[in-house]
Amino acid sequence: MLGVGTGAPAAGVRAVTREDREALAVLLAVEGLGPMTLGRLVDAAGSPVGVLELARHSKAIDLLVDASRPSGDGERAMPADVAVRIVESLRSGDRTLREIERLHLSLVVPDDREYPRRLLAIEVPPPGLFVRGSLEALAADHVVGVVGTRHPSPSGRRIASRIGAALVRAGATVVSGLAVGIDGAAHAAVVAEGGRTVAFIGGGHARLYPTAHDRLADAIVEKGGAVVSEYAPFTEPSRGTFPQRNRLISGASDAVVVVEAGARSGALVTASWALEQGRECFVVPGPIDAPTAAGCNGFLRDWHDLAKIVSGIPQLLDDLGLAAEAGLPVLQAPDPTPQSGTAIVSSRVKLPSASSVLRNSEPAERSVAEAIVHGAVTADELVAVTRLSIGAVLGALTRLESRGLVRAIHGRYEPVGPLAGVDPMAA
Amino acid sequence: MLATLLSTTLVALEGRVIRVEVDVAPGLPGFTIVGLGDASIREARERVRGALRNSGFVHPPRRITVNLAPADVPKTGPSADLAIAIGILIGSEQFTARAGRAALIGEVSLGGEVRPVPGLLPMVAALARRGVRRVIVPAQGADEASLVGGLEVVPVATVAEAVDALRSRRRKAPARPERVELASGRVDGLGARGHVLVEATPVPDLAEVRGQAEARRALEVALAGGHGLLMIGPPGTGKTMLARTIPGLLPPLSDEESLAATIVASVSGEAPIRSLVRTPPFRAPHHTSSYAAIVGGGPRLQPGEVTRADGGVLFLDELTEFSRDVLESLRQPLEDGRVTIVRASGATTLPARFQLVAATNPCPCGYAGDETRCTCAEGVPQRYVGRISGPLRDRIDIWVTLSRVQGRAMVAATEPESSDVVAARIASARDVQRARLGGRLNARLSGRALRAHAAMSAETNRRLADLADSEKLSGRGTERLLRVGRTVADLAGSWSVEIEHLEEAARWRPPSTRPLVALAV
Repeated sequence: MLGVGTGAPAAGVRAVTREDREALAVLLAVEGLGPMTLGRLVDAAGSPVGVLELARHSKAIDLLVDASRPSGDGERAMPADVAVRIVESLRSGDRTLREIERLHLSLVVPDDREYPRRLLAIEVPPPGLFVRGSLEALAADHVVGVVGTRHPSPSGRRIASRIGAALVRAGATVVSGLAVGIDGAAHAAVVAEGGRTVAFIGGGHARLYPTAHDRLADAIVEKGGAVVSEYAPFTEPSRGTFPQRNRLISGASDAVVVVEAGARSGALVTASWALEQGRECFVVPGPIDAPTAAGCNGFLRDWHDLAKIVSGIPQLLDDLGLAAEAGLPVLQAPDPTPQSGTAIVSSRVKLPSASSVLRNSEPAERSVAEAIVHGAVTADELVAVTRLSIGAVLGALTRLESRGLVRAIHGRYEPVGPLAGVDPMAA
Repeated sequence: MLATLLSTTLVALEGRVIRVEVDVAPGLPGFTIVGLGDASIREARERVRGALRNSGFVHPPRRITVNLAPADVPKTGPSADLAIAIGILIGSEQFTARAGRAALIGEVSLGGEVRPVPGLLPMVAALARRGVRRVIVPAQGADEASLVGGLEVVPVATVAEAVDALRSRRRKAPARPERVELASGRVDGLGARGHVLVEATPVPDLAEVRGQAEARRALEVALAGGHGLLMIGPPGTGKTMLARTIPGLLPPLSDEESLAATIVASVSGEAPIRSLVRTPPFRAPHHTSSYAAIVGGGPRLQPGEVTRADGGVLFLDELTEFSRDVLESLRQPLEDGRVTIVRASGATTLPARFQLVAATNPCPCGYAGDETRCTCAEGVPQRYVGRISGPLRDRIDIWVTLSRVQGRAMVAATEPESSDVVAARIASARDVQRARLGGRLNARLSGRALRAHAAMSAETNRRLADLADSEKLSGRGTERLLRVGRTVADLAGSWSVEIEHLEEAARWRPPSTRPLVALAV
């Protein structure tokens, strides 16, 4: 009856019964019951169903507290009020199950084949993931997290879009946190490319945050990606849930790219998790006087031995080992002996040029689009650069917007979709 | 003895002729005024008493009864003061007036001066319609009263001068040099229609606004077609500055509009009127304005800002800061071009054919889109502009977002066009619209007339449907797109609406109808 249980068992692993899945979903909704304690309870009771059996007992509270006790250590048993809430969940559990069904969520557990293998390797893998969509994309050979501030500069947004588009073109899966700003730009660029991306959210599915991204979430699922939460549907996103969620973004990825981060940005938490989990960590550097780059530059300074600099998108793909595998056109290697100090560009990946994206555009459209790729953001600048009349510029903008190449935000125009992935330096 | 004189009072924007009957009878000294007068008419007793005494006349110690007829019309304001004072003098036989009915308008001071009253123009016009041949008016209102042809206007500065004028037909004061004659036929056209005169601050030229090409263009299109315009942008981007250039961009009022505008200006009494008001009114009420200030009302049925902006522009700066009541009250004027003030004694309808131009910040702090300065929480900027309610939203055809002008754009921008150049284009686009069947501005065309006048080819029709689809436009939104497209075409001198016109017009849609591509905020 429930959507719970679509996960196929991994080979050689015992099948998880639907009853167990439902019991686990109910237990995951218990406030204050963390993955460690839950793990001990399940071990002690034999199964999630067993835990709920304990909760039906007349001395349920004592039994549960005892079961949660780590062997030989009497001090770290769970508090009695959590046990009380487990007992209460026998009654409230139905609501959670109904919501799971209504939102078409599936509960994926570590024993399932589709449980992301990279997550199994982190310190505390979530005992269950509530998934909307499909986790298949996380089984790709390359999974890269792209994170950053919720208040990006137009340039940061553009870079996030370009990285997202370039990664998906190179065959990698992009993981992020669905937040406004950099996260959203990265997800949206992938969706615009028709690619798959996975968003780990910091609250329950029924409390989707930020609400402004509900359509983005729909689009991610529609394109074969997923929106994933380790929290039960009604869990409110809070100050504490986001940093926890961040460990999943890095944990599900091979590498994390931080695009822009202020001095205290949560993206830095993700970057730290990445280093702790042994993932690669790439950071886009920025001007030393830009607040949106303070966190990035600081992180590069503090972790200069571990964190890597993103010096360009082709270079990033190269460093990730994506270029060769994706079968992208490889540029002729430049002369190996640098002459008169010219740097060797190790770029082997070629991003599409503006002219290839704009192949079918008429001249006004093309010159407006090129001006935008080169950094013109306001109508004033477009008029100045293209020397077209304001009316012609506005008409061209509408056509580019209809084609999904440009969008307007707060009176500024920026490239999206295929145009966002364009290399401004390419001829 | 009984004296009967004519005077006038104002009912909303119209003058009403009243008969002032003064009976000075033997008996216990007293002074009573009857005939539905308001507080300022009751106080006329004290003013008249002082004015007579200080002009060298005697306030007779007798029983004085003043009746203002007809008894069922409520009389407001001090316009009958002078008639009451003269009536007492005649009634107590302090002088003998010439035969013939004379009308007097004016407030008197305790010192005996005659002061101007608001609404002189419609009041004199009402007398002219009644066939009155001669009217005595306050000296300061002479120019205004002289706008009405067909009767002799006698300006007086004091009660004593008024007495002189009535004794003899010869005026002591020299005739006013510049007398703006109005064709007498037009006097009959004076009705409850009006405008406001505001010539306070000098109008800035469009050339003084640097950059903001998109907003300038939006303003031009809006003024050309009479479309409602909303400018969204952070402080200091030039929203208010752009709005202030409007008076210099609109074509002058036609004779009929001008007369209506002058009447409202007269009734508003904000500034002395020297000639017909030819500049379209530009009203910019503050966002703390009360409901009555915007709609009109008060004991004397004063025209509100919507009426004062009739034929011109009502500019609401900080639109989202206006009270909800005030914004809701704009619904009827925006729909019908008039406003109805309902009260226990009956409903009065005043003209309110204004064009709405509004400006707002993009978010409460004002800096949305500027990541380093915006202090608003997520989602707040999106909701802020969403606060503009449905009916108002529907009436705003053109939405434009302004962003801060970057230094290099300031340098790169070519010399901006001046108001004259843009005004000429606006005027010719308006001429084109006036010449069409019905002669209405595009903003006021019916949906059917709009389709007919658009004369779109099949291909253009398809593009319109595409644009409507891709942006999930409602029927109303599609119509709005076509409406603005028609104006863009008029500015381009095109007989039919073409694809390029629609594509330019499509830039001005409300922010909520952005295409789905812009998924991430």
